[in-house]
Amino acid sequence: MIVAEQKPLEEIRRMIIPYERVLILGCGTCMTVCDAGGEREVSFLHSALRVAQAKSGNETHTFSEYTLKRQCDPEFLDVLDDKIDDVDTVLSLGCGIGVQALAERFPALPVLPGVNTSFMGMAKELGVWDERCAACGDCRLEETAGICPITRCTKGILNGPCAGTKNGKCEANKDMDCAWVLIYKRLERLEQLEKMRRYYPMRNFRAIPRPKRITSKISVDVVDVGEDNG
Amino acid sequence: MYPLVADNNQGYQDNRAKKIPIDHSLMPPCQAACPLHMQIREYVDLVAQGRIMEALQVIRSGNPFPSICAYVCTHPCEDACRRCQVDNPIAIRALKRFALEFGGDRMIQAEAETRHPEKVAIVGSGPAGLACAYYLRALGYPATIFEAHSELGGMLRVGIPQYRLPREVLETEVQRLTQMGVEIRTNTRVVSLDLLFDLGYKAIFITIGAHQSLRMGIEGEESPGVIDGATFLREVNLGLKPSLGNTVAVVGGGNVAIDAARTALRLGTHKVNILYRRSRDEMPADPAEVEQALEEGVGILFLVAPTGIKRENGRLSVTCVKMELGEPDASGRRRPTPIRDSEFIKEFDTLITAIGQAPQTPADFHVSIGRGSTIQVDTVTLTTNRRGVFAGGDAVTGPATVTEALAAGRLASSRIDDYLQHRYPLVSKEGSESVSGDLLPETIEMIRKTGRLEPPILPPGKRRKDFKAVELIYDWEVATNEARRCLRCGMGAEILFQDKCATCLTCLRVCPYHVPYLDASGTIQIPDDQCQACGICVAECPAKAIVLRKPYDRRQITEELDHILKSAAQSNLKPLIIGFCCQYGLFGTGTLASLWRGPKAGTWLVPVLCVAKVEADHILRAFEMGAEGVFIAGCGEQCARENTAFWVRERVEKVRRTLVQIGLEPERLQAFVLSTTNEDPAEGIDSFVEQVGGLYLASVIMQEVKS
Repeated sequence: MIVAEQKPLEEIRRMIIPYERVLILGCGTCMTVCDAGGEREVSFLHSALRVAQAKSGNETHTFSEYTLKRQCDPEFLDVLDDKIDDVDTVLSLGCGIGVQALAERFPALPVLPGVNTSFMGMAKELGVWDERCAACGDCRLEETAGICPITRCTKGILNGPCAGTKNGKCEANKDMDCAWVLIYKRLERLEQLEKMRRYYPMRNFRAIPRPKRITSKISVDVVDVGEDNG
Repeated sequence: MYPLVADNNQGYQDNRAKKIPIDHSLMPPCQAACPLHMQIREYVDLVAQGRIMEALQVIRSGNPFPSICAYVCTHPCEDACRRCQVDNPIAIRALKRFALEFGGDRMIQAEAETRHPEKVAIVGSGPAGLACAYYLRALGYPATIFEAHSELGGMLRVGIPQYRLPREVLETEVQRLTQMGVEIRTNTRVVSLDLLFDLGYKAIFITIGAHQSLRMGIEGEESPGVIDGATFLREVNLGLKPSLGNTVAVVGGGNVAIDAARTALRLGTHKVNILYRRSRDEMPADPAEVEQALEEGVGILFLVAPTGIKRENGRLSVTCVKMELGEPDASGRRRPTPIRDSEFIKEFDTLITAIGQAPQTPADFHVSIGRGSTIQVDTVTLTTNRRGVFAGGDAVTGPATVTEALAAGRLASSRIDDYLQHRYPLVSKEGSESVSGDLLPETIEMIRKTGRLEPPILPPGKRRKDFKAVELIYDWEVATNEARRCLRCGMGAEILFQDKCATCLTCLRVCPYHVPYLDASGTIQIPDDQCQACGICVAECPAKAIVLRKPYDRRQITEELDHILKSAAQSNLKPLIIGFCCQYGLFGTGTLASLWRGPKAGTWLVPVLCVAKVEADHILRAFEMGAEGVFIAGCGEQCARENTAFWVRERVEKVRRTLVQIGLEPERLQAFVLSTTNEDPAEGIDSFVEQVGGLYLASVIMQEVKS
């Protein structure tokens, strides 16, 4: 799941200054799960913005709110067709993908990001999320006993641990577990310690072109249509 | 200005709500167990909120003579109460009595008008007859009650001792029937039904009760000094004072035996012994009554049965035999068998037999009689073998409870209505609903154990002396606290918008009772019969997909706020301080509402059913409305539910941080959740109101009010 946190209120207020009518748009998937932009947070932000505006006394925004099931596919955005005519901007509480999907779908509409999309991860406990995947496109979890050194090792090294590991913790952050110690312990338990003894050659991150694209289509070429993102 | 509550999502949500009907299907076990199917959960909840008048309305709507039930009901609801699995059941009957006494039941006038010409005769004025008359009259039929004794009430009058049912309670209820226009003919024994038909009655309801005591079938039963329980109680209740002597034995283990024994004590007998052939576990009498009898000094000899009585020198010499318990019999109780050569003799002045009663139907009624001398009726239509003749109550069932008789009377009234209007009887849906199942051990473990709070009763020494009511009434605080123990079965949370649910597992993680779970298909389920309706998940759900099942729990806090905004603008009072106050327990009884009159006016309360249901958004809205200060007052450690105080503090902290970002003073928001039982709820709030009031007027948000 994609994890994000809501931007500070000041930043959001600064962004919306040029626009009078603001639609606060929530997302019912990842952003709901990570408490950043679900329906509850949309309505809380809505209230906070109204209170802040009333407090300042010299702003004249009008706010409205709506929550989509998902923002990251154009079909979900169809219901907005008759809403965007009445607004000057959409403040999206979707992740960065949602914001861009909106921008692509509505070329003439300014779209503002309401959250800082942070990582892909999972809940450690209620209200706490940890990063777990860097989307490197070259998964080695088979070799590392299901623990990703790219994300969980501060240095992201493939042949760990480094000399900075101490009592199972990382030298960069003494509260954080050393990913390679975790990998060792789990390999030991799985009786696969020989995987520790192998050497994994360097990976050439420069060779991975961006933006990436995956296609499951076999016979049809996908051709980029010239886009006008306004 | 922009509208205060701009909610563009509303239509979208309404459409979703329409698609999925709200599930109210699980019936609470108390209601299912009640012969009258009273809405017990609803009125107990209202008592918990201190809304006694409304509780009384709910009670009255389901019971024709609630004050009688409040004294003598055998409360099968309490036996079925799921709180039994946690600690002790809710004291439902005592709470009902509290609601009736404090809600002003005596003031309620009954009215009815005649809408149908068909006269109905009711033979017998026991609870079934009275209830039938009440409902027939309410339906608009002229009804006449025929009673052989000098006063109405049947067993209520002649069977139940006054210390259990004070006569003025009975009088008040009977008085209502007169007010409604029921014709009453006492001292009139009906000997022939044909005569009634000749008099123009179109239907007859026979409810003659079961007044005939069963015989023990032992030698010497006819001796002077042996009296049957029903006759004894009837004589005492009609004002006679039979002389019993100093030692009395009562044979039997049912409620009549206990009533007879306690009545004998009150008549001045020194020693009363109950002889019962089984052990205490098998006694059919109400355990609380048995306990009270023992406290008063009644002796009970268990596993003893009389086998013969001889009258010698003015006293009774009773031969008894000891018993032992064998295999369970048809009634499920263990069958007693005599122990050989264990006979012994005891002497008494009087022996009262109370081993059971049966109806005695005059042969001239020409109705068919079945097992145990009861009248045979069709179970659906309640008709006897004679056209237009219905029967119900003990006369049909054999000795049973008052509430069952009331239910029979109510059912009979609608069947008689069906008959007179030539309708096919509508078979009621009651009983077909599924009832909340048992609580799971993990749920039980998390429920706060709070012992049952009983109403005070007279000390045993005092109550032996006369026939005053033994049980007193709750005081207000104890009653609300007792009512708060209710688990509110079937009123819990449900995911109303399954398509909005992001399966984020927040509900599963916040639930103090571990109720929500992920099913095999990856959908969150909140089992209705486990949820404790605390409301935490409702406020915490990031998708706003969860609601509480009970309609009036969904009182919109936003609407209350709008209402306050308008009233405050009209009253032109400053400062405006808004408090979200729990309506249960201390805060629900008006403790707070009465605090800010006069100089402190300007404090407005938003009633909430547990502060766990106040969302962060609501608090912000209060500030938006121009509140100078906002507080949340809840029961904290005294709350009947777990963790509610924690979540209130979390949300308050969240809003405070936002207030700082907006540039408002966070001190203007305060949570008051009591941590000890001794804390005065009003004190802290009072000083908060004093401190905040007028201090932040400069930064109050001025709001244009739209009417």
